[in-house]
Amino acid sequence: MNNDVTRAEQSEKIIELRLPSKLGYERVAMDAASTLANKMGFHRDRVDALKTAIAEAVTNAIEHGNQHNETMKVVVLLTVREGELIISVTDQSDQSIPPEVLARIPKIDEKFTEDDKGGWGIWLIRELMDEVEFKTAPTGGNQIRMVIHLEQ
Amino acid sequence: MIMSHSTQIHISFPSVLGYEKVARDAVASFAKFVGFDSHRLEDIKTALGEACINAIEHGNLLNADLRVHVLCTYEHNRFLVKVFDQGLKDYNKATKPISIEEKVAGLGTLRGMGLMIITELADESAFFDESDGSSCLQLTWYCDLASKT
Repeated sequence: MNNDVTRAEQSEKIIELRLPSKLGYERVAMDAASTLANKMGFHRDRVDALKTAIAEAVTNAIEHGNQHNETMKVVVLLTVREGELIISVTDQSDQSIPPEVLARIPKIDEKFTEDDKGGWGIWLIRELMDEVEFKTAPTGGNQIRMVIHLEQ
Repeated sequence: MIMSHSTQIHISFPSVLGYEKVARDAVASFAKFVGFDSHRLEDIKTALGEACINAIEHGNLLNADLRVHVLCTYEHNRFLVKVFDQGLKDYNKATKPISIEEKVAGLGTLRGMGLMIITELADESAFFDESDGSSCLQLTWYCDLASKT
């Protein structure tokens, strides 16, 4: 760990949200992240991108990770660092996300002919955020870590 | 959307002024989701903002290493918000809050109106001392189902 990382971690501020696995509660995470991003000085377009990405991440955690089980929680961590906001969304699933799902790039031409119009979430998140990483959380469960940089 | 069963969200944040807005807006989003109208949402936001500022300033004495916890539950039309701090400075239960008229007359500081505002805006409010030494301000609002159906 270099000195820059140490300084960033020392000055970071973390906001934690624990949400039930019920569709609709992604709005709580969206509004919390939006307020925080506005406070940090992000441009409105970037705030909108953040809201979309976090909504997709939390919705995935509710639907696929926690399988709509309302007793299971989705944990959202918003970490404020100098010049960036780190967002992690963790579910309580014991099933890993298949690599082919993470790598999938949806094609809009094919979607027109398919019954399932979904499957855009991970692609959207990658398009909207500056850094995206999928991993298993230290406590178990799938975790997506997203970073959005504050442009000067 | 109207929900009949218990649901709960938990938010925690460092004791730094400004972060109360994040908790305020998250709880307001939850309150809107369960069916509160815009006027009641503003009451909830104002009261919760004051409660969180009190927790940051007085309960945790602006120590950024200490966290404020907000636990928000909706069950049977009852919207319950609990704000926890470390209770570093005891709230004064005995003293009657000074009125606006008295403040305008110069009989007290222009600040210190938070508890009065909270009392006016919440349907119920009460302080509790937790067994672990922390303090809890409990705020309750009742969602009028009759007006939504």
